[in-house]
Amino acid sequence: MTPNLRATRLILSCVCAVLTLALPGQVAAQSGSRPKVTLQCVSFGIGPMLECLIDLQGRDGTPLETAQVTLGALMPSMPMAHTIRPTRAESTGKPGQYIGRLELEMLGVWSVSVDISGPVRDKWSQNLLVHDCDEKARCAATPAARGDDVHMGRHRGAQPGHRP
Amino acid sequence: MSTAVADSPIPASDAIGAVMQTIRNALGDVLGLGDVAGAHLVGLSSDMAIMSMLALSAYLMLLVGRVSFGQQAFFGLGAYAAGVMTAMFHAPLAVALAVGVSLGALCSWLLAVPTMHLSGLHYAVATLAFGEIARILLGWWVWQRETGDGPVGPAGIDGFRDIRWLLENDVAPSEFLVLTLVLLVLVLAMLMRAERTRLGVALRMTGHDDVLASSHGIPVARIRQFAAALAGGLAALGGGLYAHRTTYIEPAVFDPMLGVHAVGYALLGGLGTALGPLLGVMFDLGLLDASRLFPGWRMVIFGGLVALFLRWRPRGLLDETLVHRLNGFRFFAGSVRAASPLSSGASNPPGRKEISS
Repeated sequence: MTPNLRATRLILSCVCAVLTLALPGQVAAQSGSRPKVTLQCVSFGIGPMLECLIDLQGRDGTPLETAQVTLGALMPSMPMAHTIRPTRAESTGKPGQYIGRLELEMLGVWSVSVDISGPVRDKWSQNLLVHDCDEKARCAATPAARGDDVHMGRHRGAQPGHRP
Repeated sequence: MSTAVADSPIPASDAIGAVMQTIRNALGDVLGLGDVAGAHLVGLSSDMAIMSMLALSAYLMLLVGRVSFGQQAFFGLGAYAAGVMTAMFHAPLAVALAVGVSLGALCSWLLAVPTMHLSGLHYAVATLAFGEIARILLGWWVWQRETGDGPVGPAGIDGFRDIRWLLENDVAPSEFLVLTLVLLVLVLAMLMRAERTRLGVALRMTGHDDVLASSHGIPVARIRQFAAALAGGLAALGGGLYAHRTTYIEPAVFDPMLGVHAVGYALLGGLGTALGPLLGVMFDLGLLDASRLFPGWRMVIFGGLVALFLRWRPRGLLDETLVHRLNGFRFFAGSVRAASPLSSGASNPPGRKEISS
């Protein structure tokens, strides 16, 4: 077999592998079946740390109790950098409620993602503005609005003491 | 996340499902993807592979003697185009990526036609301006379609959420990593093979000395336009993959820092072989960022190294000279042969003239 033929076969095999993975899968999109996610987070300490309370409900309003929930975060202004280790959110004991903690690297706008698996698989995200607040205070991370500083969350004012 | 995916039922009769299940099980066994650490490793590897595509697109431009600070724009165009195709029109991922790549290549070529005659500095500024224009336009673009779960589509500065093709088609992050790696290997194979051809030599000659290349009958303008189109398509491919990995994109993602990093990775890793940009990505994202070896100092170290390299090793770590020294390794053979006609000017930065006659 000539090197050219061998290379062609290799490339064709790779293309087949890509098509196998990239062509439509077996599960059709299920519109209207996504769970309802409510996210409330507070930041505190050095890092800062971000503690999030997640409420999960099915479309019929019943709490999602047996879900595995993973919290993740990325900084939209620095994609693929400041990689934050995802953490597993644990159940608080209240039906459909989970709590998890992320260790961030800086203040600013973070896109916090909630990855759900178990009875239903979904991924949900929200941009939160992590504020600068006093050393021992807990500040609510508010939904980021247009014009928020992407790096230093000082625009909208910290809200020390607030806890979801 | 991965555990649940591994338990999801897939019909054994379905050939694609069987392949997916095999990959899933194999990766699950090898990496132990059931835990969060495994998922983090998969995510980090996917990011590095995607960033490598952007770095390779910057590398292609550097190869023809042009510094582009606008590759992030094509990354963004590819991300939005692929996202629109899957989220709004329910197209297969392969089709969506193809549309994104075509759009990125076309826009890059259209930009190259009027700007390639500019000098290096002016071209760099022109690409930076184009990148910012594209980002601002994406911030104005609102186009949404109603679905059962609410509106989906680009929403201006608020971004584009719910690009859920991977979730809807039950593709696990580990499978997506395999797809991304396969695409990256394909791109690398294509580039390293091209370097052995007359086209590869023409690309390098154009970058080293366009006047000399032109006097040898190389159509410099066309070569540069071709490289720009290829680089734009490559960046768009990375963007399409990024949009589907994160499920969320917004114009802020595609700011100039992304393009500057891509150029930095190529300059740091080296221009002697297509493996150079990958080395740059692995150094920054893999060693500095992920390891947390120097918390808070990553940008200082990375930026400082790029500055030092520009002064003492302008064509990066894996420059043509080092690639020559490594010629005992078969892996580098293609790049060595491609670089050999120009080895006397191996230490010249892109755009610098050399007297080789």
